[in-house]
Amino acid sequence: MLPIISSNTKLSQIIIDDPTILSVLSRFGILLGVGDMTIEHICQQKKMNVVFFTTILNTFRDPDFFPEKILYSFEAHLIVDYLKKTNQTYLQFQLPNIERHLHLLISKSDAQNSNLLIIMKFFSEVKAQLMKRIDDDKNRWFPEILALENSEGNKVESTVMAFDESNDSIEDKINDLISMFVVHLTGDYDINLGQAVLLALDSLKKDIAQNNRIRKRILMPLYQALASRQ
Amino acid sequence: MKPSVAIICSDSITSLGINALLRDHFNADTTIITPAQQQMLASYAMSADFDFIMIDEAVLIQNLSYFLPYRNKLILLTNSALEHETDFHHLLRTASLDSIISSVSKIFKSASKATPKDNHLSTREIEVLKLVAEGKLNKEIAKELNISINTVLTHRKNITAKLGIKSVSGLSFYALMNGFVKP
Repeated sequence: MLPIISSNTKLSQIIIDDPTILSVLSRFGILLGVGDMTIEHICQQKKMNVVFFTTILNTFRDPDFFPEKILYSFEAHLIVDYLKKTNQTYLQFQLPNIERHLHLLISKSDAQNSNLLIIMKFFSEVKAQLMKRIDDDKNRWFPEILALENSEGNKVESTVMAFDESNDSIEDKINDLISMFVVHLTGDYDINLGQAVLLALDSLKKDIAQNNRIRKRILMPLYQALASRQ
Repeated sequence: MKPSVAIICSDSITSLGINALLRDHFNADTTIITPAQQQMLASYAMSADFDFIMIDEAVLIQNLSYFLPYRNKLILLTNSALEHETDFHHLLRTASLDSIISSVSKIFKSASKATPKDNHLSTREIEVLKLVAEGKLNKEIAKELNISINTVLTHRKNITAKLGIKSVSGLSFYALMNGFVKP
């Protein structure tokens, strides 16, 4: 088990321990070439909240690390801002990356391998569902949370009554896509590209799982508390 | 490992020719299912235990619904080049011997990467899977198969455990990949 990340942990060590955490770091404007900077140094340099930053990194790295009390103490806009950046990463990097590799895998594999085309269709369905959720976050849920946080007693109409359970199925579907590659892939295909798609899916799965934990266990209760305050 | 092949053709000469070719060039474990045996669906049921089913167009067309679930195993003998792209393995009868041997070799190689058999679903589980893929609810599946909802839930749990696939969409795409439902 990896040690908990604290303010004096070196950034380089975090990346070496788990390179998939780069997708989270990039949301805070941190790229490769981190030198020997610690978390505290980078937070001072980028004017970031140290506790919030370490909490996000720890929740990504360890699914069992979920300090509700600490996360509840953050203002809603901090969490919304992080989730907005997360959604942007899906749109700009992770989804196109998987799609590009899948297209290459299909074009470089046996033309008779129709299973890959079916997997591509399944991925397109998952992508469409995730994009719909991102669109809803952008246009409805996040603006509503920010409006509630800034309402200062003014009435804000709240439309989200409960956590949308269909969000969980994005996670299930990504797991199923991974199973299709690991367990059910047949026929001739490019081995390197097959592995590349699998790793890209695994990275997205981990990210979506953390995203869902934050949405379900932190943002939704925060939202409900803000709505009931009115 | 020796591939096992069922040969089910509408004429004996073709069956014997294919049989000789597979044994001589691939050391395959072959079984000819004769036209007389083809009258019995039970004989076809044997084909489920083979790695491949060599079949001609006439037999396939007459028994399409039976063979479709096994389409990953089918090697279709055709009289002319297929006009449309298909996911069946196929062999052109008029091709040269070298070309046929090369095609069969490629098909057998692809099988070595195929799914292991330990996650095979039972006949009942396949029936439940087909209905899930058609978008039926548990209640509707129970009514259609004349079983209790609890039994449906048990089948679904077993399907998920065997396949590692949980979502309805995932199961539907799996059913499509394996020919349990039509595209």
